[in-house]
Amino acid sequence: MHDAGNLTRLYASILKETRLIVRDREALVILFVMPLAFVLIMSLAMQDAFMEKSGVFTVAILDNDNGAVGQGVIAAFSSAGYMKTTVLKDAHDEADVKKEINSGRFKFGVIIPKGATTLAKGRVQRQLNFAKDGSGNGVYVRLISDPAMRVDHSNLVASSLARALAGVENRLLWEAVASLSGMEITPEREKEIREILDGNRPFEEVKAEDATGTRTASPMPTSVQQSVPAWSLFAMFFIVIPLSVTFIKERQLGGLTRLKTMPVPSSVVMAGKAIPYFIINQLQIALMLAVGFFIVPLLGGDALSIGNSPIAVGILTISASFAAIGFGLMTAMFCKTTEQSTTFGGTSIIVFAALGGIMVPKFLMPQFMQSISVISPLSWGLDGFLDVFVRGGGVSDILPEAVGLLSFGLVCLCVAAWRFSLKPR
Amino acid sequence: MNDLIIEAKGLYKTYRGAEKAAVDRIDLTVEKGSFFGLLGPNGAGKTTTLAMLTGLLEPDDGLLKVAGFDIRTSLDEVKRRIGLVPQEISLYPSLTAQENLAYFGMMQGLSGNALNGRIGDCLEFARLTELADKRVETFSGGMKRRLSLAIGIIHEPLILFLDEPTVGIDPASRLFIFENLKAMNANGTTIVYTSHYMEEVQTLCDTAAIMDSGRVIANGRMSALLSRQGKGMIRIRTAPDPTEAVRLDVESLPGAQSAIIKNDLLEIQTQEPEAAIEGVLRLLREKNVKLLSISHGAADLEGLFLSLTGTHLRD
Repeated sequence: MHDAGNLTRLYASILKETRLIVRDREALVILFVMPLAFVLIMSLAMQDAFMEKSGVFTVAILDNDNGAVGQGVIAAFSSAGYMKTTVLKDAHDEADVKKEINSGRFKFGVIIPKGATTLAKGRVQRQLNFAKDGSGNGVYVRLISDPAMRVDHSNLVASSLARALAGVENRLLWEAVASLSGMEITPEREKEIREILDGNRPFEEVKAEDATGTRTASPMPTSVQQSVPAWSLFAMFFIVIPLSVTFIKERQLGGLTRLKTMPVPSSVVMAGKAIPYFIINQLQIALMLAVGFFIVPLLGGDALSIGNSPIAVGILTISASFAAIGFGLMTAMFCKTTEQSTTFGGTSIIVFAALGGIMVPKFLMPQFMQSISVISPLSWGLDGFLDVFVRGGGVSDILPEAVGLLSFGLVCLCVAAWRFSLKPR
Repeated sequence: MNDLIIEAKGLYKTYRGAEKAAVDRIDLTVEKGSFFGLLGPNGAGKTTTLAMLTGLLEPDDGLLKVAGFDIRTSLDEVKRRIGLVPQEISLYPSLTAQENLAYFGMMQGLSGNALNGRIGDCLEFARLTELADKRVETFSGGMKRRLSLAIGIIHEPLILFLDEPTVGIDPASRLFIFENLKAMNANGTTIVYTSHYMEEVQTLCDTAAIMDSGRVIANGRMSALLSRQGKGMIRIRTAPDPTEAVRLDVESLPGAQSAIIKNDLLEIQTQEPEAAIEGVLRLLREKNVKLLSISHGAADLEGLFLSLTGTHLRD
């Protein structure tokens, strides 16, 4: 008897499933239009929260010094085009500055301590007096930042402050030097002076501090870096609904009954369903990346930057797809009606997304919610993508997330295969 | 005796948690090339039997050979030789007729020219060639039934199982299905047919089995089964409607084999119609029951079915 074999059966299954999906408009909207809209809306709407428009950093300055140091910093910050500087009149201490930052009015605060100019001049004088002990602290001008700020933005403001203070230092130094008339500076003398100066710097190194006293360990993504992988993962996992619905309809309409009377292995039927959805997942991520690259910048947002490891991105995409398909098949096997599968599938993905930092970025969550988020496979996927996009990670960095997703998918697939069998029972 | 294409001995199946066996050690044989009807009231076990014959359910016990192969050890060989037309339409509504045929044909193992040839033949068979590229969701119930039947035969099975294939279709499509099934059977395909419509089974099938409570209570050639019912059926309508007391009196008359009340009719099976009619008329006069109508007909499968399985409602 002629038998074309299981490859033909697999091809037939893939072709059939693809046609069913392509002709299901509601499924296409869920799989492509919904995440695309989310990526666009969230990338643009969350720009301020992610401070992508780094051209304007709001900086509050508490000048307790009212001398050359405070004036120097205010002048330098005011002349920088990327900072909007406000000198706090009513603030009295560090707590006031932090309160302003936490209220969202300012992203950074600079606290110039009382007596800063006097202390700085004293340190300069010690330089000129060739004081070799170098003991005692210099003036510590504090920079306080919103904890939601990206590290590179904090570093930018910190270095601006350091430059401003260096300018003040130079000015104080040369003012003092100018008063010393008639001193001859030979190369040997110059070297000695430099060593003396280094040992008696008037200002400590500037470090950015968080208003809350803690800083997230990782750099923050831009809103497009957050939105594209987040909503792509959401869409990838949302295949649970069309996948389970088509399977349940097939069971209800009797198509599976026919298949059970045919010489068709269960694995062919399962693979015939999985492969088209795997391809859909790849198309989803490609579309979302393209939107991040090309469309978001056209609408005023930042272009998506995906780091330096496209292989890691590929591994994550494949792993997430495997997990999503496994979860979808398992849902299809346990739900008896399409109503059950849409309710359970939709709710579970939304809960996974909410927990996993898809809807609300994890860095905005309280610590205990961040701890809970590890139960969500979407969280693993998002962490992996952010490792690559934001932290410059490679394949080795995303392996834990990829292995987690693959394991989750494998467990789901095994449970689904156990429930689904074309063998008589 | 012809070759047996289905042979079941001591076939047994029980469902988890059920008090009684769904199929209780039945013996069943179907000859090659026959048109076999499987009948029974709801819950009789015919669906479970059909499911075991087509490999959908594994028997708990007993021997079952289909197309010469033991269904336990050679299920795939059995599957290659059987076709099923389920009670449900079992089609993909958003696929076209041709795409449905192609899918199930390929799943049966067909490809290339063989597949294309069979798709064309099946479309022609179902009189759907002109509508090959139309989605099934636009088809009428009758067209869907015809396509469902065509899918069942796309791989030219030796045995075709049909489960209530004429439910919900128009008379023309029913007639079409009857004619084509007869033609297929004449060409050598063995057909196993289950239906609630007794006249369909009586018209189409040459052999039949009647099941009740998981057991086969009658089995054999249609002519032999009908002869068990006697020479005919007398149906009378009275005023007032026949009572249980009248039924018992009628059943005790000479020439009457059995009597049942069906709706407002009293149906009497008889081997001696003349004697039975005489006795009934006399009885009705004695009881002052007015005779409204009386008819006499030949024995039929429905009468046999009801006499064997009773008339009480089944869940």
